Amino acid sequence: MLEDTIIAVATPPGFGGLGVVRISGKRALAVAGRVFEAKSGGKRPFPVRRPIFGTIRDPERRAALDEAFLTYFKAPRSYTREDVVELSVHGSPAVLESILRLGAKAGARLARPGEFTLRAHLNGRLDIIQAEAVNDLIRSVSLTQARISSRQLGGSLSRRIARLRGRLISLLAAVEAGLEFPEEGLRSGPAAWRRSLSAIVSDIDRLVLSHEAGRALSQGVTLAITGRTNVGKSTLFNALLEEDRAIVTPFPGTTRDFLREELVIDGIVFHLVDMAGLGRAAHPVEKRGIARGQRIAREADGLLLVIDASRAWSEEDERLVRRYLSRNAILVMNKTDLPGKVDRKKVRAIAGENPIVEVSALRGKNIDALRGAIRARFAPRTPETEEVILHARQQNCLQEALGALRRAEKLLAKRHSEEVPAEEIRAAISFIGELTGEVRAEEVLEEIFGRFCVGK
Amino acid sequence: MAGRKGFDIVVVGAGHAGCEAAAAASAMGLRTCLVTIHLETIAQMSCNPAIGGLAKGHLVREIDALGGLMGLLADETGIQFRLLNRSRGGAVQAPRAQCDKAAYRLAMKHRLERIANLSIFQGIVAQVVVKKGAAAGVRTIDGTFLPAKAVIITPGTFLNGLIHIGLHSYPAGRANEPPSVELAEQLKKLGLRILRLKTGTPMRLDRDTIDWTAFTPQPGDDEPVPFSYRTRGPLKNKVDCHLGHTNAATHAVIRRNLAKSPLYGGKIKGIGPRYCPSIEDKVVKFPERARHQFFLEPEGIETTEVYVNGLSSSLPYEVQREILDTIPGLDQAKIVRPAYGIEYDAVSPTELFPTLETRKIRRLYLAGQINGTSGYEEAAAQGLMAGINAALAVKKKQPFVLRRDEAYIGVLIDDLVSSGVEEPYRLFTSRAEYRLMLRIDNTDRRLMGYGRELGLVPDAVWGEYLAKQERIAKAAAFLKKTRVKTEAGDSLSLCEFLKKPEIRLEDVLKWSEFPGALSDEESRFLESETKYEGYIRKQEREIAKAARADSMKIPGGIDFGRVPGLTREAVEKLEKKRPTTLGEARKISGMTPAAVQNVGLYLEILRKKGAQRPPVPRGTGPDDE
Ligand SMILES: Cc1cc2nc3c(=O)[nH]c(=O)nc-3n(C[C@H](O)[C@H](O)[C@H](O)COP(=O)(O)OP(=O)(O)OC[C@H]3O[C@@H](n4cnc5c(N)ncnc54)[C@H](O)[C@@H]3O)c2cc1C
Ligand SMILES: Nc1nc2c(ncn2[C@@H]2O[C@H](COP(=O)(O)OP(=O)(O)OP(=O)(O)O)[C@@H](O)[C@H]2O)c(=O)[nH]1
Ligand SMILES: [Mg+2]
Repeated sequence: MLEDTIIAVATPPGFGGLGVVRISGKRALAVAGRVFEAKSGGKRPFPVRRPIFGTIRDPERRAALDEAFLTYFKAPRSYTREDVVELSVHGSPAVLESILRLGAKAGARLARPGEFTLRAHLNGRLDIIQAEAVNDLIRSVSLTQARISSRQLGGSLSRRIARLRGRLISLLAAVEAGLEFPEEGLRSGPAAWRRSLSAIVSDIDRLVLSHEAGRALSQGVTLAITGRTNVGKSTLFNALLEEDRAIVTPFPGTTRDFLREELVIDGIVFHLVDMAGLGRAAHPVEKRGIARGQRIAREADGLLLVIDASRAWSEEDERLVRRYLSRNAILVMNKTDLPGKVDRKKVRAIAGENPIVEVSALRGKNIDALRGAIRARFAPRTPETEEVILHARQQNCLQEALGALRRAEKLLAKRHSEEVPAEEIRAAISFIGELTGEVRAEEVLEEIFGRFCVGK
Repeated sequence: MAGRKGFDIVVVGAGHAGCEAAAAASAMGLRTCLVTIHLETIAQMSCNPAIGGLAKGHLVREIDALGGLMGLLADETGIQFRLLNRSRGGAVQAPRAQCDKAAYRLAMKHRLERIANLSIFQGIVAQVVVKKGAAAGVRTIDGTFLPAKAVIITPGTFLNGLIHIGLHSYPAGRANEPPSVELAEQLKKLGLRILRLKTGTPMRLDRDTIDWTAFTPQPGDDEPVPFSYRTRGPLKNKVDCHLGHTNAATHAVIRRNLAKSPLYGGKIKGIGPRYCPSIEDKVVKFPERARHQFFLEPEGIETTEVYVNGLSSSLPYEVQREILDTIPGLDQAKIVRPAYGIEYDAVSPTELFPTLETRKIRRLYLAGQINGTSGYEEAAAQGLMAGINAALAVKKKQPFVLRRDEAYIGVLIDDLVSSGVEEPYRLFTSRAEYRLMLRIDNTDRRLMGYGRELGLVPDAVWGEYLAKQERIAKAAAFLKKTRVKTEAGDSLSLCEFLKKPEIRLEDVLKWSEFPGALSDEESRFLESETKYEGYIRKQEREIAKAARADSMKIPGGIDFGRVPGLTREAVEKLEKKRPTTLGEARKISGMTPAAVQNVGLYLEILRKKGAQRPPVPRGTGPDDE
């Protein structure tokens, strides 16, 4: 098993800043080389332990996905004591997912939870107690996720997958019945099988597409609180979290670095980020903080754009709002306990489709309404009938199944003898089985005898 | 009979399992005794007069490659031969033969009689004599003791057999043969878990009273394919089978009389096989079908008996008669033997090691129907393996166990001993994970080496096998090397051409002649290997990987709760079953592949840590004495 090369995101999920994809194993460099292109013209082998700058590219589409740093740790001087390559990117979950997908295509296997640590241990880097401690941590994270996702889905995803699997088994049974009982004069044939194959293929396809929504569900949605200094961002942050987490002072420029906390609304995890307000920076630290804040705001899944309603509308407000208009945002008019100085109509006109919520963060007024608005605007949409695929691993299984079924379709179209497409359908069932449990030959036989009158 | 020192091996029951077991054990040099109730019924085909078919034909080939008898005798006494699925790929082609039942019995009897160190003895075994937890011989109902170092029991459907015709029933092992009651009771007392199973057989008709013009003839193949690597000379078709159908009137008769069926009347408690449904079952389960097909199969040349394949039933004789009345062509047919159902005891095969030795009593082997299977071929395959393993155990040699990826025999026995059975077990090609590799065209390559090593494959057969491998190797090289131009102008190897689904080997050899003759069998092999190549390579990789992982030992004292990433359910299952290898863990029902991998990773941790491993609990395999 240690011969596989494994790949996974090493940073916590949903993290707004930096994201690290780690690849470990004999083929780590080769896999990384498939997705990463050095700016300097791709001198390989990559230097050891020295980050080099470049871009992540989909080797098939040639499109650059993101800029990245690649760092190569040569065995045994690495976390796992195997060859390790770390790709640091900006960390938007979508980019991370794509890298995993590309990596898997290039021959790496998605790591199981804790597997890097296990390997580190296997290779003598950590002792077992350390390894388990790390693993417990990883497990607790996924347990929270599991709880959330199971509440969200009520097991309907597994039911949907079970149904798909059922359809595949009955398709396989039809094919097998013909092979096992050539003298029974069974009528169903390649044309019918191709029809049910293509129906199944398009269903799996839909599931795969729903993956985006699923990712948000399992990893949480990152929400950045942004706005000018002193508008009450930190106060709002605390009010939403219902605890005094961020420091609040009457002075502009209080928050310098960013703060990140989990906010759960109706079982959905939001990663709420408070950060330095935008404005003229007095201090280099502040300047840094602002730049960083801007980047987080850029990459967040959604924004809470805070405006101080007790102060006159300024050009700066206008610029700010316009700048984030195209983004998924809620305009929060704060300090509504004080006499209002802002023309609501004007704001309404600028805000376009983005909702406006008036609150007083200090007094806790309308905070519940804001929560509702957050849920309505940013919660991943899970249409009732459409299911979502939660994890990259599930996604991977489905894609493998899809590949096998598409090959089966082709084989049938080319009139290959049925035992060959049957092989592909079996493979697809076992990939789907990895999601829900194994398939036994017995199940196919049960189906054959349940549906076809065969045997003497 | 028994010399002063007794036998090495006693085989109980001369059915398909017992005959193979006795022949293999004696051919491996052991003094063997085959005890059976009637010498006249040695190798009796209790049911249909046919051997082979999908998966079953594969088994017969495998038995043959290992030096067993069934294939050779089926070829010798066959009266009609067909290769099933001829138009499909090599992996799902299998031979089947209609055999002359009487000739088959006699041929087997003669052959066994000629084996030097094999004694045949008529008697009803009442008891296995067990000393110090090991089988030490058998005792017959008349008190004769046959001492032996190992005992193989193959009593077929005879254990507490109960025949049903309509609502009447009587104890019997097979129509009008005595059941084995004492032996059945003793096996229970030995603590083996007993199952109650059921099967049935259709009526036999008098050939001369059938109007044959009402049925469609089904001739044999023009060029019959033999089962055996030892068969010389062409096989001849001597009879046709015929196809017929039931109709609405037949079904009405059956429905009207269901209350008289022991099964639907609730009298039969045993579990019957779904794949051999009685005609009652078919009518009840598939009410929308207007008709069901059946085949008329001659039972032999010297007899007028005809087997009605498809009309198995346990309805009373009068109803069977009425059923025939509804079918044009059979309305005047005379029933010479009525159809009947039989209930019998079997031993749960989870009581067995993969060698077919019982886990509870050393040197006691079970093979055939007693292990919950049904079918001559399944029985013969187990008999052969039990015979070989009993012989190896007596000789204090390593056991012989086939893997799932190398033989259908491996699939069969592994399914039995690791999953057990709930209904009579029949082999299907879809039970094999690596179907494309388990073909009749490569059976010799897969297994003959083992047969040779065991001393069961004669020099001449082995020599021919080697010569064949050389021809194949040359031809394969020729196909790879020889290139031809396509109409589009690119150059392709013959191999690449042969990959196309509609292209046969003879087609590519038309473009470029191969210097040397290839047999049909060799052509089929080359076609399969070429057409399945991508799949075969992939499966080989999977097999190698799985084998490495599965052979990983799990230390006895392991705490599964400490394996990272396991669900509580998985931990509970592992704690309960306490698998000794990763392979066994994988077989526990409900274990996901991911969970098994986690256990594997954890094991590697332990190994690398050099943690003290408690000793693996000792098995009671035949090799540890
Ligand atoms: C009515 C009936 C219907 C069947 N239908 C089907 C079917 O539809 N499909 C199918 O695949 N298979 C069917 N079979 C099963 C098939 O016949 C068996 O699977 C196969 O013959 C089993 O082989 P065996 O060697 O285990 O036992 P058998 O062939 O039954 O041989 C058992 C032998 O053991 C001997 N014996 C039994 N007890 C003793 C004893 N105490 N001492 C000494 N000798 C003993 C008997 O005399 C007999 O020779 C049917 C069998 C019967 C009886
Ligand atoms: N009256 C009133 N005062 C508020 C409200 N929200 C915040 N304030 C006050 O506004 C001042 C600034 O609040 P902060 O939450 O620190 O503002 P900020 O946006 O985080 O500021 P920087 O971190 O400096 O960018 C504090 O004195 C708060 O008490 C509100 O709803 N009503
Ligand atoms: Mg602040």
